This record gives sequence, structure tokens and C-alpha cells, in this order.
Amino acid sequence: MQVRVNNLSFAYTSKTILNDISFTLETGEFLSLVGKNGTGKSTLIKCLLKILKVPDGTVFYDNVDINTIKLFKNVGYVPQKVEFSYEFPITVSEILSSAYRKKKDEYYTKTINALGINPFYHDNINNLSGGQFQKVMIARALLNHPKLLILDEPTVGIDHESMLALYEILENLKQDRVSIIISTHDIDFSRELSDYFLELNEVGDYRIYR
Amino acid sequence: MYLAAPSFIESLINFEPLRYALIAGICIGFIAPLTGSVVIIRRLSFIADTLSHFSLAGVTIGVFISKLISPAIININPIYMGVLFSIGGTFLIELLRSFYKNYKELSMTILLSFGVALSGLFIALTPGISTSYTTGLLFGSIMSVDKSDIFIILVTSALILIFAALFHRQIVSLCFDETYARISGINVRLLQFAITIILAVVISVFLDLVGVLLISALLIVPVSTSILIGNSFRQTIRTAIIFSEISIILGFYTSYKLSLPIGSTVALFNILILGIVMVFVRIRKSCAKKSEG
Repeated sequence: MQVRVNNLSFAYTSKTILNDISFTLETGEFLSLVGKNGTGKSTLIKCLLKILKVPDGTVFYDNVDINTIKLFKNVGYVPQKVEFSYEFPITVSEILSSAYRKKKDEYYTKTINALGINPFYHDNINNLSGGQFQKVMIARALLNHPKLLILDEPTVGIDHESMLALYEILENLKQDRVSIIISTHDIDFSRELSDYFLELNEVGDYRIYR
Repeated sequence: MYLAAPSFIESLINFEPLRYALIAGICIGFIAPLTGSVVIIRRLSFIADTLSHFSLAGVTIGVFISKLISPAIININPIYMGVLFSIGGTFLIELLRSFYKNYKELSMTILLSFGVALSGLFIALTPGISTSYTTGLLFGSIMSVDKSDIFIILVTSALILIFAALFHRQIVSLCFDETYARISGINVRLLQFAITIILAVVISVFLDLVGVLLISALLIVPVSTSILIGNSFRQTIRTAIIFSEISIILGFYTSYKLSLPIGSTVALFNILILGIVMVFVRIRKSCAKKSEG
């Protein structure tokens, strides 16, 4: 899926977070969003997903303005944080099976195994560690064969083994021509995979480099 | 010659309204926790209370019209009026919220007050309204369900079960993470709208049996109890239904034997079960702490 961003700007009240950002991510390319905390990486991601309304600029997925897209069917998203109903019991299996549009098949099982979710597959989500929870979110994003995968700080809280597993998954997805946007502090993680980097600064400006 | 009072079972066999009430009770014992689980996760508990009070206005207006105008000219089932008002209430809440963007809860308080005020007015204006009828509206009446009502209740229950079966995946997605549900292709706005309409319909269809003040208790309390001991979404709902049905049966029997309002007896058994489970959970926690220590 091609992603084209033209002159995207976003501000919270009077503070500019994103200033006139433009870039094109071709099908199968890998873009790393980098920058210090508070420079707008998550905000940019939320603009790309229509979680935040973009007052200035346009975003196109395969030449279709996202404002005309009512439902995103080919986009996988791993959020930095999930606002879910804590204390209400729900298991990992229930979350993942509700996210998967088909009946559980080989691909579903392969995704669960690859991320090492089996040991806690039937556990209550409220009892998971931060790393375990992150694995579940990654699995959820991968389940519906996304053409565009957006990950917001996916390596936070996960162990080295899981990081290697995630790296392998992203590598395979890139080979399958899935477009990937990743926001990360851990530039070493995505350095080899990235086609280019988009670095944001505190005043909303950016630079793109390979 | 002394005649023994009929047993509960004999009364059920011989007395149609009692049978209808029990069938209705069993239906709500199933449907209410199913709906209530979504109400709790989506933080709609106050909306449930608001809609029940607004639905009461519809019911009382329906009764007023049916007393004033001959059924030959206009035949209005007060339940339908209650459903209309309950559904209309959901739209009014959204309209009021557009005026109070920073105080969204005001919309519910305003609508609740409006509903209660209208109810009071039309109860006062309706000729031949007895105190027992008014008590029944507030706290439920075991004799309130007739043949046409049971048809509505059974059809409504069946439709809700079909909806839950068809859309359970989307409902669980929405309940867990609304943002992701939207991104993953679920029409969140439409689903949310459908859930609110179902809530409005459940409230108004079962209002007569359980009473306006206690309908939301049946939606919320069994699920609140099962959350304390549940380990999964499915298990929580299953347990809530079991608790709910136990309360319905016990409350129904108590209401019949002691001539008490059924809404009150059922709600009190719900609370009793909640209390027992809370004690059990506290004891289990302190035993676990002791064995760790």
C-alpha cells in the first residue's frame, strides 16, 4: 500500500506538533519515525489513522484520500497504549479471536506461535506483564494480513527473544511487500530494515534521510 | 370447610398471568446480563437509568391515551409507547450533549428529570389509576404481563440473541478497544447505535415486570458480581446469567408468596448474591496472602 502525506500540520491549542510534513512511502517500503519524546511521532501516527482529525494537509492510501475512507480494512496498528476497560475479565484468546475475521487457521496459529503467546493464550489480559501485553497487540495487528502496518513503540517492554521474533516477522512482511511505519526510540532495531528515516524535532519540523 | 391455598406449582399451572410473568422473568434473567455486560464496559450505566425513567413517561402517556380514547378508535399498547420514548431518549441524549460538550452527564440528568416529571403529570391526569398500579410501575408487578406482552418479550429476546450471535466478534472488539475496532474495519458508530437501541428496547420491554427504579439493577448487578470471580468474557457473562436466573426464581417465588413487588425481591436477591461473592473474594484473597506469607 502506498502512503502519501502532503503538507500535514497539527497543533494542540497553540503548540505546533507537526509542521507541514510531506513524504511518500511506496508499497513494501519501511519507514522509521524517530525523535525525542514529545516530538509528535505518536501524533503523526494518529493522524495517519484518522484517530486525530487533520486540520491541514492530506493523506492518501493508494491514491485514495483517507477522509473518504470510512473503514480501514487493510491497516494493522500496534498502539503504544490501549485504553481498555481494566478489571473486566477478558482473555488473550478472546481478544485475538475477535480481531481475526476468519475461522482460526494455520496462519492464526503460526502468528501466535511466532510471538510466543501460547504460554498465556488463555490468560486474563489484566494479569499479563507489559511485554506479554505488547506481544498480544502485535499479534492482533498482524492477524488480518495488513497491507500497511503501523507500530508505535512496539519494542517497549518486550524481551530480547521477542524482539528477535518481531524483527523476523517484520523482515518477512517487508519481503511480502507490506508497507511498514514504525515509531521507535530503538533505532538499532529498525536500522537494517528501514528504507528511510523521518526524524521529528520539538518545533514540529522534520528531516528525511536514508 | 377449610380450603388449602394452592401451591406455587399449582398456581403456575392454573393461573396464566403467573406463567407469563415467570416466562418473562426467565427471559430477562438471560437478556439483562448479556446487555448489562456491554453497558458496564461501555460505561452506559447511567444512560440505562435515564432511559428507564424516560421510558416510564412513554408508558404513562400510553396508559393515559388508552383510558381517554376508546380502543376501537386508537388501540395503544403502553409498552410500545415506552419503547418509542426509550429509543427517542437516546437521540435526545445526543442532542442535549451537543449543547453541553464539557458537561455531558447533564444531558442524562435533564432527560431523567423530564421523564419523571412527565410520568408524574400523566399519572395524576389519568382517571382510575390506583396506588398499586403506581407502585407496580416503580417497583414491578408480577401480574403486569399479559399474552400480548409475552409475545413482544419472546420476540425481543430472540432478536437480541440473534444479534449477539451474529455480531459477538465485533462487540467484543468494540468493548475491548474502540480505537482499534474503528481501524480494523468495524463500523463503530453503527454498532454503538445498535447497542444503545437494544438497551432502550430491553429497558422498555421489561419495565412493567421489574419496575422503572430497578430495571437497571437487573442489568448491572449480576454482571458486577460475576466480574469479581470471572476469568474471561464468556465466563463472566455465563456466571452473570446464572446469578441473574437464581435471583429471578427466588425473587419471583418470594414476591408471589409474600405479595411483594417483584422488582424489589429480585433486586434484593441480586444484591444478596453480590454480598456473598464479595465475602468469598475477600476470604480467598486473605487466604492467598497468608499462604504467601
